[in-house]
Amino acid sequence: MAREIEFREALREAMSEEMRADPRVYLIGEEVADYNGAYKVSKGMLEEFGPRRIIDTPISESGFAGLGIGSTMLGLRPIVEFMSWSFSLVAADQILNNAPKMLYMSGGQFGCPIVFRGNDGAGGQLGSTHSWCVESLYANVPGLKMIIPSNPHDAKGLLKSAIRDDNPVFCLESERLLSVKGDVPEGDYVVPIGEAVIHREGTDCTLVGFGRTVYFCEQAADELAREGISCEILDMRSIRPLDLDAIIRSVKKTNYCVVVDQSWSFASIGSEVAAEVHAACFDDLDNHVHRVHNDDVPAPYSHDLEQEMLPNARKICEAVRSVTYNA
Amino acid sequence: MPIDITMPRLSDTMETGTIVKWHVAAGDAVSAGDVIADVETDKATMEMQCYDDGTMVSIVVNEGSPVEVGTVVAVMAEEDEDIGDATPKPAAPATVPAPSQEPDPAAPAVEPDVIEAGGEDVASKPVDSVPADPPLTMRGHVRISPVARRIADEHGVDLASLAGSGPMGRIVKRDVLAAVGITKETAAAVPPGAGLSPASPASPSISNLPTTPVDSSSTSMPVKASDIPTPSGYGLQPWSEPLSGMRQTIARRLVESKTSIPHYQVSMVFDMDPMVQMRTQLNEQLAKHEVKLSMNDLVVRCCALAMYTNPLMNASWGGDCINYHGDVNVGVAISLPPERGGGLVVATIRNADRKSLRVINQESKELSKKARTKGLTIDEMADSTFTVSNLGMFGIDNFTAIINPPNSAILAVGAVQQKPVVRNGEVVVGHEMTATLSNDHRVVDGATAARYLSSLKELIENPGMALV
Repeated sequence: MAREIEFREALREAMSEEMRADPRVYLIGEEVADYNGAYKVSKGMLEEFGPRRIIDTPISESGFAGLGIGSTMLGLRPIVEFMSWSFSLVAADQILNNAPKMLYMSGGQFGCPIVFRGNDGAGGQLGSTHSWCVESLYANVPGLKMIIPSNPHDAKGLLKSAIRDDNPVFCLESERLLSVKGDVPEGDYVVPIGEAVIHREGTDCTLVGFGRTVYFCEQAADELAREGISCEILDMRSIRPLDLDAIIRSVKKTNYCVVVDQSWSFASIGSEVAAEVHAACFDDLDNHVHRVHNDDVPAPYSHDLEQEMLPNARKICEAVRSVTYNA
Repeated sequence: MPIDITMPRLSDTMETGTIVKWHVAAGDAVSAGDVIADVETDKATMEMQCYDDGTMVSIVVNEGSPVEVGTVVAVMAEEDEDIGDATPKPAAPATVPAPSQEPDPAAPAVEPDVIEAGGEDVASKPVDSVPADPPLTMRGHVRISPVARRIADEHGVDLASLAGSGPMGRIVKRDVLAAVGITKETAAAVPPGAGLSPASPASPSISNLPTTPVDSSSTSMPVKASDIPTPSGYGLQPWSEPLSGMRQTIARRLVESKTSIPHYQVSMVFDMDPMVQMRTQLNEQLAKHEVKLSMNDLVVRCCALAMYTNPLMNASWGGDCINYHGDVNVGVAISLPPERGGGLVVATIRNADRKSLRVINQESKELSKKARTKGLTIDEMADSTFTVSNLGMFGIDNFTAIINPPNSAILAVGAVQQKPVVRNGEVVVGHEMTATLSNDHRVVDGATAARYLSSLKELIENPGMALV
């Protein structure tokens, strides 16, 4: 039975259902227990699972991320919540240098079944140090998986897959999407990691997005539809592994591709997708892949400037008109 | 400092230009403001001016080769500069062949890329040839997107026959689809490989072109008369002709117009007796001023006046709105002679509703002469709100024309002919003319077009009203 619930509730259901099913799973992070989560994602979980499985920490990302990684070697399956992925930078050595390499460095003796999750991207006037999009930085590292759901259904299904996965999985959520409601089935289901989905069918241009940018793509597609340009929106859902086949299928149909990525353009997920599409769809492209990114500046605090910096609908429309020679 | 003279950007959309005629040679003294060359752009042939005083040192790009905007086409020396300093790359002094010297019969008959300044007071030195980038097609390379190339291959389309609408003239998917007659709507229905037979020089893109809408002379091929190969034996010789900038523009704009504008036509027969009579009378009286009004001048004037009473016709499709224009600017289609490459242009007679017949006649004559000799400027072809195309002089009864965007209507005017006509219940000999109005149905509905033609009929059949 599907019913409409918020994105944050979908995340909570995923964690709670997996914790009920598997006693090795626990949640650790700043304010996840007594305060019910800085963004109320873990509301009520302390009550249900108790303080041994819902664990508050001091402000010490490197410490509790490392604690989580260590506990995987003793057989546990932690969920580590970063209040914001911006704060995970101080834990970079743990999450990038230890977790993804554990299996390799231990010669196959220890895996690292851990989930790191939290808010990623511009939350709305949080300033440049708290508005990080870490996906392009972190996805560069082999050995980890990365998921960026755009809606409550995928959030629950993907997070459940992540908790069951034997590899470190980075789950990036957008603060701007936590209140978004959507149909979510009750009970158990999973969305496999590594499968993209066509969010909206179209014929004239493929828009590739993930997470919050799917909404920017929707706004742009609505406007472009009025101009007679029919956009197909592909929601990547997983960054790593990347469902390249789905992107290729769509681009072969439309002959045009715009990648929308809310991180900076240099050496980014957008540039990775563009490179792969150029290689796989060379004879099917009528123009080079266009990319829409955050502007190449630190996130501004000003509301208007922040909106302007994001890969917003206006920029996407301009890119689609340009790539389809309708500029 | 030597001054590089580059291909100027003469219109917003200009990407490349062709020097059709150099008016100066190496060694010539030039002053700021001198016209040094004629440049053919995608829209018109325009004059290229010089911005400095000095001496031409070398012509880098020869006549006839298209080059990108910004390419150095010539080098000049400043007024007080030793021209030797301005030569692009000085080398050891060498003998310069006298201009009159016969070419070495052993040498291949190739035009030099660089024409050096020569003369006794000029320290002329041979330079490394600095040709501008040849057009891409000359390198055996065509600017074309990968998918466009694939579709062209599948349908056997000759790439040389295509005009690219993408940046820098890149051939893109829609250009190939247009050439094989596939629209967005029919695209799904056409299986790959179901193309037309392999292209001959008369490729699908050409043969599918709509009939040229306006008065073109009987030889409308874009070739110089002297270039037409002499037939050997019986029959015509086949040949292929690269598209001129104008031919590409005509092809692109008319395909765009005919495929994107929902055209329909309404026709009307006009009693021309009064106008024939008035024109004869006026021309007798104007003969001493050496003025001779043409039938077309009268039609243009009447069309403009009729627009004034039917302002809904004076409009353009704006995508999400209809733009009604404040001025009545009548475009007049002018065919160009084969020795200028043929083709046609539309000259604009601005505010034709507020100009006397005499002024219309004078402007029309001047524009037509200029179009056929020097070529029109973009301004002289811009901003028309309606177009008149007249093939009456060829004895055409009636025809339909393709709308000249952004106009929403075009009037195709046939010949004034003597015919048995019914007047007051009797069959007598009278003059008649048929005119057919093509309309953009997005802008102009049938009744509006019909009302416009009725107004036009009233004016043409009571031509005194056109005088006031």
